[in-house]
Amino acid sequence: MTLNLCILTPNRIVLDSEVKEIILSTNSGQIGVLPNHAPIATAIDTGILRIRLNDQWLTIALMGGFARMDNNEITILVNDAEKGSDIDPQEVQQALEIAEANLRKAEGKIQIIEANLALRQARTRVEAINAIS
Amino acid sequence: MAMAALRREGRRFAPLISPRPITAVRSSPLYPTLEDEGPLGLRHISTQVVRNRMKSVKNIQKITKAMKMVAASKLRAIQTKTENSRGLWQPFTALLGDLPSADVKKNVVVTISSDKGLCGGINSTSVKISKGLHKLNSATGPEKETKYVILGEKAKAQLVRDSKKDIELIITELQKNPLNYTQVSVLADEILKNVEYDALRIVFNKFQSVVSFVPTVSTVLSPEIVEREAESGGKLGDLDSYEVEGGETKGEILQNLAEFQFSCTMFNAVLENACSEQGARMSAMDSSSRNAGDMLDRLTLTYNRTRQASITTELIEIISGASALEG
Repeated sequence: MTLNLCILTPNRIVLDSEVKEIILSTNSGQIGVLPNHAPIATAIDTGILRIRLNDQWLTIALMGGFARMDNNEITILVNDAEKGSDIDPQEVQQALEIAEANLRKAEGKIQIIEANLALRQARTRVEAINAIS
Repeated sequence: MAMAALRREGRRFAPLISPRPITAVRSSPLYPTLEDEGPLGLRHISTQVVRNRMKSVKNIQKITKAMKMVAASKLRAIQTKTENSRGLWQPFTALLGDLPSADVKKNVVVTISSDKGLCGGINSTSVKISKGLHKLNSATGPEKETKYVILGEKAKAQLVRDSKKDIELIITELQKNPLNYTQVSVLADEILKNVEYDALRIVFNKFQSVVSFVPTVSTVLSPEIVEREAESGGKLGDLDSYEVEGGETKGEILQNLAEFQFSCTMFNAVLENACSEQGARMSAMDSSSRNAGDMLDRLTLTYNRTRQASITTELIEIISGASALEG
């Protein structure tokens, strides 16, 4: 029994394959989904999604969205998604540092919120790389 | 002196040039009136006039051909994006259903149109459908109200004329920067913040092929209406069977879901409309350059006839002059 996983972003289809198990992080914690799970509709926070196919774990960084599971078909709609293998470690470290610097010198509510968001996204991507290695 | 008199005589026998394709020339104040009326009321149009007209028609043909190629290249660029975004709104429809017939009090019609003209009839069809929706809603009951949100100059020009009081928000110059999701989601956010709604109906032209653009309406319901419909069963009845996680309350999730659905459907709608605009412009410019080509053919024939007529009159003058001298 496998799950048909489909990850969609506004710009492209990131993933469309069969997997054995997924672990996704929602606003209220992480949930693991195995085949024949009850139908669920959840909101996904900025975080990493772990996929297991053939006893191998893949990580994908997701930037917030929704997930829906029905009858062994999972559809994940997110603002942006990156596969862990596609992320460049150097670039992500730099992005993280820039995000942290921006947060420190952000003024005004909007800038702080944006800086926080960018920081969380950068952290998620770093986690995605670390989780594989 | 004699030659001038003979020239005037000769004109009487000049073959009657059919002025039908060029009658406009006479009335147009732009063209110098180089023709004159002979004693029998013949119209004699000079070759200069016809040549000028041919030059301008040829320029028009070149310009419209270039516009067609520009539109074709822009279409190619945006078509891949559109196809990628099509998969985005389908899960929403599968989960929440697309209920154009839901009975709601406050309708908001989001009309998407282009900023530039020369794109065929797509903007008029969108506006017609928006007006139709407005009428439909106000016809079913007095407490129903419909408001417009307009994207694009062309719809604004048409709707401002008769529905000015119903317009909530006007947004133009959408395509200044290449379309991307963040820009559209900011737009969607603006609309959601400023407009009260029970149902949002997005009117746009769906791009089916390079020659076919179908006007479509996508409906996004507000979360309260979704709850109401879900409880009453029917298509949305399945929604209740889903366990909703990831937040404090189900209502909060549904609210977020509705906003996300709106921005995704908006993104798809804006892309499809842009594609349709380029496709319509391509076919409009194509038929325009073909018409210019036809006109050029007709003008060339007229030009040749005019030229031959003037040559004939010259010959007649010379010959009659020569024969007058001899005999």
